[in-house]
Amino acid sequence: MDAKPQTSVKLVLLGEAAVGKSSLVLRFVSNEFQEHKEPTIGAAFLTQKCQLPNRTIKFEIWDTAGQERFASLAPMYYRNAQAAVVVYDVTKPASFVKARHWVSELHAQASPDIVIALVGNKVDLASDDNGPRVATAEGQALADDEGLLFLETSAKTGSNVQEVFTALANKLPEPAAASAATQETPDHIDLSAAPNKQANCAC
Amino acid sequence: MEEYDVIIYGTDLVQSIVGAALSWQGVSVLHVDKSPYYGGASATLSLTEIKQWVESNNNDPSSPFDDVKLYVSRNIDTSKYSIDLSPRIIFSASDFIDLLRTSRVYRYLTIKPLTMFHTYKDDFFDKLASTKEDIFTDQSITVQTKRALLKFMRFVLNYQSESSLPIWTDFKNRPIAEFLQAKFKIDPIYSNELVYTLGLCPALATPTSVGLHRIKKYLTSMGVFGSFPAMFSLHGGPGEIAQGFCRSGAVGGAVYRLHSDVSSVDPDTQSIVLDDGTNIKYREKLVIPSQQQGSREVRRLVAIVSNDCKPWFGEGESAAVVVFPPGTLEGNETAVQCLIFGAESQQCQSGQAVWYLSTTEKGAKGKKELELALEKLESAILRESTEDFDIEVSEEDVILRNGTPLISSVRLGQSLKDFVPREKLQYLAKLQYVQHETIANPVADNVIPIGSSAFDITYDGIVEQAKKIFSQITGSDDDFFNVDFEDEDEEDIGEVKPLGSTSNSNSNNNSNAEPELTFGDAMEV
Repeated sequence: MDAKPQTSVKLVLLGEAAVGKSSLVLRFVSNEFQEHKEPTIGAAFLTQKCQLPNRTIKFEIWDTAGQERFASLAPMYYRNAQAAVVVYDVTKPASFVKARHWVSELHAQASPDIVIALVGNKVDLASDDNGPRVATAEGQALADDEGLLFLETSAKTGSNVQEVFTALANKLPEPAAASAATQETPDHIDLSAAPNKQANCAC
Repeated sequence: MEEYDVIIYGTDLVQSIVGAALSWQGVSVLHVDKSPYYGGASATLSLTEIKQWVESNNNDPSSPFDDVKLYVSRNIDTSKYSIDLSPRIIFSASDFIDLLRTSRVYRYLTIKPLTMFHTYKDDFFDKLASTKEDIFTDQSITVQTKRALLKFMRFVLNYQSESSLPIWTDFKNRPIAEFLQAKFKIDPIYSNELVYTLGLCPALATPTSVGLHRIKKYLTSMGVFGSFPAMFSLHGGPGEIAQGFCRSGAVGGAVYRLHSDVSSVDPDTQSIVLDDGTNIKYREKLVIPSQQQGSREVRRLVAIVSNDCKPWFGEGESAAVVVFPPGTLEGNETAVQCLIFGAESQQCQSGQAVWYLSTTEKGAKGKKELELALEKLESAILRESTEDFDIEVSEEDVILRNGTPLISSVRLGQSLKDFVPREKLQYLAKLQYVQHETIANPVADNVIPIGSSAFDITYDGIVEQAKKIFSQITGSDDDFFNVDFEDEDEEDIGEVKPLGSTSNSNSNNNSNAEPELTFGDAMEV
C-alpha cells in the first residue's frame, strides 16, 4: 500500500460554454484530446491522483455538465469544493469577462479558503490572424488582484495542463490542516457497499 | 426553433428523477423551473431564500402553499441555514435507497444514520423498543406483552405470505390498532409505538394493509446498513436530492434552465413559450405540475432553536424522530410527526437544532396541535439539557479556604434542586405554512400533469410516481435507470472508503466513526 497519506479534494470547473473545460479535464485525466468533443463528460465526476513528494492528492473533478449555460448550477456544485479551475478562451475576450464573473461567484458561494486557478485555454489557436487575444498580462493582473494561480494552457497540445493541477495540489493545505476540515464532513454511510440482505431483524 | 423530445416544467423531486431517468435513456430533455433554485415545493432553501419564498407565495394565487408566516431573529446570519420545505427521512430497506444506488446519485450526497424514534407519552419521550433485544431487556414491559410483541414481529415480517393472509385479510381496510388488539392482544400504548412511531402512520384510521407494510419496512430496515432503521442526507432532504438528480440528468445530457417561467403552452403545435419569449418545441411530451388542489393538506411548523438537542439523538448522530400519537395533545386525532436535526446535519449552526413539526389535521385544530407539540418539545428539551443550566454564584457561595476560592458544594446542590430555567428556549426562526395536495387531471395527450402530495416524512411513493410518469412517456418502466455507467472509476467500486472524506485513511483510524458503520461486517453475513 502507498505509504504516503492520500487526501481527496473536490475540484469544480467553471467558465463559459465551449472554452474547453471538459477537454482540459480529459487531457489531465486520460491524456487525451478529442477535436469534436461532445459538451459533457458522462461520469458523475472524474478522479485523478496528483503525486506530491510527501502526499497524494486525489482530485474529484466536477464538470458543470452544461448547467452553467442558463445559470443553473446548484448550491451542491460549489459545496465543499476545495479547489476550482476558472477557464476562459484566450481567443474570446468575452469569455475572459465571464471568468471575472465566475471568480466572484466562487467568492460568494464557495468556501472562503478555496484554492482557485485561472486558466487561459486554447493558446494553440492564438495567433495574429485569429483576431484579438486576451493578453497574458491581463490574465496575470486579474489573478494577482484576486489571489489566484494563473496559467495559459492548451488542452489540445497538452501544454501546461498537468501544471495547473500540480500547482493547485501544491497550494492546498497540508493534511494536518485538511483533517481539521474533515471534522465538518464526518464519515458517512457508503451506499456503494453491498447492503446486508439478511437484515438483523427481530425474527 | 429549439426542439427537445420532452420538456419538464418544475424541478420537484419526482420531476427531477424522471428528467434524469429519461436523459440516461438518450431522450433529449429540457428541464425548466420558474424559481432560481432546484426542488420546487420540496426545495431546500436558506433562510434568506425563505424570506423571498414567503413573499412570492403571498403574491401567487396558484401556489399550493398558504397561511405562510415567518419570524426570523435579527441576530442571525440567514445564509447559514438550510430549511427543507418538505423534509423526509430514508428507510434503509426501501425502493428509494435502491434508486439512489442504481442511479448513482448517492455519490453527490452525504448520508447519515438515524436511530432514535421517540414516542411522546405522559410528558416523556420513550425510546422505542424495536428490536428483539430491546424488548427482552426492557423491564417495563410485562412478560405477556413481550410475548405478544415478539409474536407480532414474527408475523409482520412475512405478513404477505400465503399462510399469514387469513390472519389479517378481514382487517385489511380496518384500523391497524383494532387489528393489533384483536389478533395479538397488544395494548394500545404499544400499538401506538408500532403504528405511529415505527410505522409513521398519521391516524387511527390507518388501514391494516398500509400499517403492516409500514411497520415491516421499519423492521426490515434495521441492520441493512448498520444497526439503525433510517438515514438522512446532509444539507437537506428532498431539495438536496433533487439537485443530485438534476446534476445526474445534466451529466446524462439534459438541459437545465432555472428562473424561466413557461408563459404559454400549445398542445396542438407541441410548443411552449418561455417568459423571455423563447419558443420551444417538444416532440413527444410536456410534463407540467397540476394546479388543481385536492382536499388533503399538511400543516407545518419549522423552528430553529438555540439548543443542540443532543439528548434526543443516538450516539454520534444528529437527527431524531419524535411522534405525538393521537390523544397526547388535548385530544388530537392525528399524529404530529417531528423531525429534529442538529448542527451536524449542516442545516443550522452549532449549539442549535431545526425542528420540523407536521400534521395532516386541518384548520385551526391542526394549528393548535402543532403549537401544543412545540410547547411540549420545548419543555422536554429544557428539562433534559441540564448542561445549559446557568447557575448564578453569589459572593456568599465562595468560601475562602487556605486562600483558595471554592464554591460551596452544599449551596450548589441546593441551587440545582430548586433550579428553574431562567431562560426560555430561544427561537431563532419560526416558519409555518399549509401545503395543499394537487391532483393530476388530464389536459391533452401530449401533456402529462403531475400531482403532488407531501404528507409523508418518508420517501414512500416517490419512486412509484416517478416510474409511472416515466412509463407514460416511454411506454414502460423497464428502462427506468437501467444504465450501464461504463465511465465509472473502477477503482472506487466496492472500496469501503467514505466518499467526500478528506481523511487520510492510512494513518488515521478514525476513532470517531460509529462502529455500526463498518460495512465489512455487514457483508460477512
